[in-house]
Formats: sequence, C-alpha cells, structure tokens
Amino acid sequence: MSTSDSAKPRPGHGPLALTRRGLLATGALAALPFLGAARAAEPPKAKRRIKQSFAWGCYIRRGADPLQMIKTAAEIGFASIEMGPEQHWKAIQDAGMQVAIFGAGGGFVDPKNWDGAERGITGAIEKAQKYGIQRLLLLTGNRQGRSEAECLDNCSKFLPRVVKAAEQAKVRLCLELLNSKVNHKDYFLDRTPLGVEICKRVNSPAVGLLDDIYHMQIMEGDLIRTIRDNIQFIGHFHTGGNPGRNDMDDQQEIYYPAVMRAIADTPYDGYVGHEFGPKGQDIVAAMKRNFAVCDV
Amino acid sequence: MSEENHLSRRGALGAAAGAAAAAALSAGHAAEEKPPPTPLKGRIKHSVSKWCFGRLSVEELAKHCVRIGIKSIELVGPGDWPALKRYGLVCAMCPTHGIDPGLSRRENHTSCLASIRNMIEEAEKFGFPSVIALSGNRKGMADDEGLKNCVEGLKQVAGLAEEKKVTICLELLNSKVDHHDYMADHTAWGVEVCKRVGSPRVKLLYDIYHMQIMEGDVIRTIRQNIQYIGHFHTGGVPDRHEIDETQELYYPAIMRAIADAKYEGYVGQEFVPSRDPIASLEQAIRICDV
Repeated sequence: MSTSDSAKPRPGHGPLALTRRGLLATGALAALPFLGAARAAEPPKAKRRIKQSFAWGCYIRRGADPLQMIKTAAEIGFASIEMGPEQHWKAIQDAGMQVAIFGAGGGFVDPKNWDGAERGITGAIEKAQKYGIQRLLLLTGNRQGRSEAECLDNCSKFLPRVVKAAEQAKVRLCLELLNSKVNHKDYFLDRTPLGVEICKRVNSPAVGLLDDIYHMQIMEGDLIRTIRDNIQFIGHFHTGGNPGRNDMDDQQEIYYPAVMRAIADTPYDGYVGHEFGPKGQDIVAAMKRNFAVCDV
Repeated sequence: MSEENHLSRRGALGAAAGAAAAAALSAGHAAEEKPPPTPLKGRIKHSVSKWCFGRLSVEELAKHCVRIGIKSIELVGPGDWPALKRYGLVCAMCPTHGIDPGLSRRENHTSCLASIRNMIEEAEKFGFPSVIALSGNRKGMADDEGLKNCVEGLKQVAGLAEEKKVTICLELLNSKVDHHDYMADHTAWGVEVCKRVGSPRVKLLYDIYHMQIMEGDVIRTIRQNIQYIGHFHTGGVPDRHEIDETQELYYPAIMRAIADAKYEGYVGQEFVPSRDPIASLEQAIRICDV
C-alpha cells in the first residue's frame, strides 16, 4: 500500500499514444492490448530479435515426418530445434538452423556420481564440438536430505573437473533451474540465486544457467528483474505457460511478450527454447502461434 | 489531449465551479466529456487506491469511477466517506495503522488494535466491507515468533469484526524491493496466521504485484488459498506501473481465475500511472473485466 512514489513519465510514451482516441484508433482498447500479435493467424515477417528454439518433443510427435517438421520450423522462423535425436541434427543444420543445446547428464550434487558425470559431460563436449553446438544442459540432481550449503559445495567442487574442456571447446555448460514445488520434488537447483552462487564460485565463462521461465515463475516470480539482474549468468532459456505448462497464451499468467522484450533488450545472444505441451491437434498452428508470442 | 492540458483544464473547471457547486453532480466535469464506455461484465468488483492518483481530489476520482464502473475508492479515511456516498461508492479497504510498527510485535498491539477497532466501528456505520492490518517489519525477530504475535493480536479484534461484519485483511507486501524487512511477505505465512486465528473475518490482502515479486505462481496460489483472501491489489511487475503489455503478468488470466474461484470481494487497482492517469485506470479496468 501507500508509498509516496510519484508518477514517473517514461521516455518514449508520447502524448499521442496516451489519449483515449489514440488508443481506440489503434484498436488497443477495443481488442485489449494483450496478445494482439499472438491472435493473428499468419504473423507478419518475423522480427527475430529473439533466436527461438524448441525442444524436439514439444512439436515433433511420434508419427510426424521429422524432415517435414524441420522444414516447417525453419520456414516459420525458428533458429534452432534442441535436444532431439542426434540422427536429425545434420538435417536441422542443413535447414539453416542450429541445435541450441542438448542434454549432458548431471547428478553431481551427489559425489558418488562425479566420475560418471565427468565421463558423460566430457563425451558430450566432444560431440558438441563435432556439430558446432555451443551449449550443454546439465541437471544437478536431487537433494536427498543434503543441506543447501552441502549441495552448493558439491556442485561447485565438481564443475572445475569439466570446465577446462568446456572452455577449450567454447561450449557453455548450462545448469537447469527447475521447480521443486510441482514437477520435480526435491530437485536441488530450484531458485536463481542458488545457480548464480555456483556460477560465481566456479567463475568460468563456460558455466552458466538454463533459466526455465515456467519453472522459475512457479518458484520465485519477479521474472524480468531476475533476468535483467543475472543475464550474464544465463546461457539458455526455456518457456511454458503457468499454470499448466501449455502454450504461452492468454489462458495463463505470464505475459511472454514483455519478458521477451526484456531479454532482447539485454546483451543476451543465446536462444529461447519452447518446452511445453501445446494444446490442440494442429501442431503447425501451435508452432506459429507460440512463435508469434515470442517474436518481439 | 496531453496530460498537461487534461490536468490544467480540469483545474480551471474546478476553480470556476467553486466549493459550493462541488456537490452538484450535474455540473460540467471532465468525466462527462468522454463517450460512454461499453458496459462491464461485472464478474469482478472494481476498486481503486486513492494514493496512486494523488493529483486528483476524491471528488474528481469519484466522478471518473462512476463513469468507468469502479465501485470503490479505497484507503481513504472517514473524512472522505460522505463524498464517496454521494457518488454511490464504497471504501472497500479502510485504512488503519501504518506498515510499521505493526502486529508482529506485542508492544504495538495497543495502538494498532485501537486503530483497527476504531475503523471497524466507522466502516460498519457506512456499510464498508474491510479494514487493513499490517505485520510491521522483522527487525531481527524470527518469523514464527512474529506469527504468534500477529495471531494473538488479531484474535483480540476478530470478535468485533465478526459482530460488525467487517473483514480485517492482513496485507502481504514484498520485502525485496519496496518494503525491506516487512514480515508478511509470503502467502504461506499469512495463511498460517488466518488458520490460527480461525475467524471468517480475518483474511489476507493478496497484493498480486507484491506477491509476484516475492513468490510468483500467482494463479495456483490464489486458487489454493482463495478462502483466506479478502481483498486483492494489482500492479505491473517489475515497475508498479500500468498492468498492460509493458509488464510480465497477464492480468486477464489472473482475473478469470479469481472470478472462477467465486471470490466475492473487490479488486483494487494499485499501480502508479506512468501516462495519463485516468486513461491508464480505464485501461486497467478493461484488462480486468473478464
């Protein structure tokens, strides 16, 4: 309630746009100023300030023709299809896209898994190098009764084992932030400050975070401020509607265009990957719809 | 029209009309110059916090509220209530004590509870639904100790609230950006207070702006705790300006979740306009009219 904040006029909002007549003329009031672009059946030419990607399984279902879907994705304006089967990576690249990121295992919150994790990540770095892929997705594993301090220590002590190889290969290891409230009970890396703390301790450009906006909306909110404050630690983004983990549409609480504009306004040059269960039978329509939401 | 013209013109009208004419509702005023808006759907009862529109008088704001379809101007004291009555408005959230000192410390109970009791009596006379309560800051106190103290304090006024049919709403605020060290900064803590007090007249003021800053997961939290929520506030995140496409929350979906939960209280607009304040207020009501 009462703070004495006075109204601060913002630059870039000229008087013309402020008038009721102006709003009505642009249709902003009539249509509600939200999600106008998303509702357009055929979006205008893609702006591509955000390099959009999607998790293979988000739009490519069993029974679909992978090559046709890859072609369609490129036509819509996607810059990447991530985490799919290796057999299709060349086709993705031949279509002018990239594989933004793929999974490299993890579980290093438990020292018992360190040797296996090191082998897995080292192998993934080699594979990434072969394809010119610049990011790997790492999962910390579950707490299993460990304190937060112990988990932080374990992650920060393990990562130096693979950091050199990652730096040399110019591959960024992205630790994924997941929610432990709804989908991944007991997962350790469930809030941004924990991930930032690990990044600071390891202190390498080859270690960053995968900020999953859906998961972080469930755990902490304050999306735009958190992204702005920590963008140098973020190597990849995931998206999804909350609640429900479906489309980024008007049935959920995150206004993705504003979040995407905030990302585009930072120096971030990575990808934003769709990762959710789209509604409806028409997958291509879902691809177009959700692409338009993030194309700011 | 530009904001400057808008304000200065209204100022000129006000000066010409003079104090005696203020009560005459048919007198020319800016609100009537605008075309009549399309009717609201009515699933959300709209309110507005006066402090966000500080440059307008209560009368001026009331005229706009009548035109827009807002039913309440909140966080104004009894001195302004006769004016609200004249426009058929209520004060959906009546002010009591400040943010700090608050109810989480026993030594504050005498003064805080006195202001809550007094405002419950006043609200009942006017038929207004709710009064505010606040936890105050931690100042090193553990959350569970503050919780016990809050419960102890609220139990002392719950009976009066029940008798007068006025709901006491403990406000949840963010302690990360605006109100450093404020104790009631998470829904779970507030819900625990309500459960322990155990009165249908002691609930929470769930401020969507503040809770998005502190915890996110807005719709799920509202659905799971709707029986403990007596009032809502809005605001754009991160900057507490308009609740439109310039910020990260999609308010129509949140409002649908509130309406679908059979919530019967008010939703108070509490953002700091960065543009023409009345155009922004009207836009906010349209956004929340689901």
